[in-house]
Amino acid sequence: MRESGTASSGKKVECPYKGGAFMGLRAGHDLLYFGRWRRMDATAIDVRKAHHQMKRLLGEIAISLETEDIPPARKDLEKALEALYTAESGEGGPDALRYLDHALSYAHRVIGDLLHEKGLPPHSPADFAGWYDAGEVPFREDW
Amino acid sequence: MIPLDRYPKEITLRDDTHAVLRPMIPGDADGVWRFLRQLPEIDKAHFREDVDQREVVDRWAKSLDYDAALPILAMQGDGVVGSATLYRNRTGWKQRVGIVRILIAPDFRHKGLGTAMIREIRYLGEKAALNYLLAEVIEEQQAAVRALERMGFEKAFVHRKFVNDRTGRLHNLVVLLHPMSGLEEDTFF
Repeated sequence: MRESGTASSGKKVECPYKGGAFMGLRAGHDLLYFGRWRRMDATAIDVRKAHHQMKRLLGEIAISLETEDIPPARKDLEKALEALYTAESGEGGPDALRYLDHALSYAHRVIGDLLHEKGLPPHSPADFAGWYDAGEVPFREDW
Repeated sequence: MIPLDRYPKEITLRDDTHAVLRPMIPGDADGVWRFLRQLPEIDKAHFREDVDQREVVDRWAKSLDYDAALPILAMQGDGVVGSATLYRNRTGWKQRVGIVRILIAPDFRHKGLGTAMIREIRYLGEKAALNYLLAEVIEEQQAAVRALERMGFEKAFVHRKFVNDRTGRLHNLVVLLHPMSGLEEDTFF
């Protein structure tokens, strides 16, 4: 996971999670969140790449959970893995991308639980948007 | 009995301010009463007693029973800024269903506190080996409905014109359920 890069403006920027807890998980989530696979012009290669990224992310989440006692997070990780399996196996049919999105949502919730257990602020992909040159932030938690 | 040794628990909100979560104790009567008084009427509609009356809150504080109702308060300094209560039945057909009520002070909304409290309740619900968490929300409280859905609650049904507020006006009631791990492991039949 690169820790710095160059924005389209040419300005050198650093990953906003650098040096923070669960940096890999948060950046990994946001790479998928802003990934090309979600765009209308996504190619089969973009989607395949997203699958690999998701598998890696869920693996890293599983490692992080090994030392934590967060039953809801373990359950959400199971749901994420189920959704990813459904997306990969073809059982989801034309909704395969939706299942991949579900997996990402569950992963986001687990990351939130991990941060919450450490007393850290919630994860907001908007923090990542500038670094990743994302066009827009699709959602905002408001409660 | 749910283990409570994780409290007091400090959390950080979206604006980088902090709050401390802990179970309510008898000495919290004054703080809880002040907190409840500042809430909009619609947030208090579900209470069976007039919580603006100090004696009601005093009575609650003196008769706390965490096995029946576990109120987790969010504190900033000496002030209560949020509460999340998990209600349970000791026996009966709903003993594996925990009812959730979450209240957030108006000045502390949109900071992630509600979501943080839902996380706590989910954790406590799993530790209590419940099958479901159930939340009832007046339909106009859309931010609360969305936050619950984002945290895994699913809309089970909407009762039309089902509950009334203190002015007598009727509101739709949204019932949301969160299945817990215990549901998969339970085999009564």
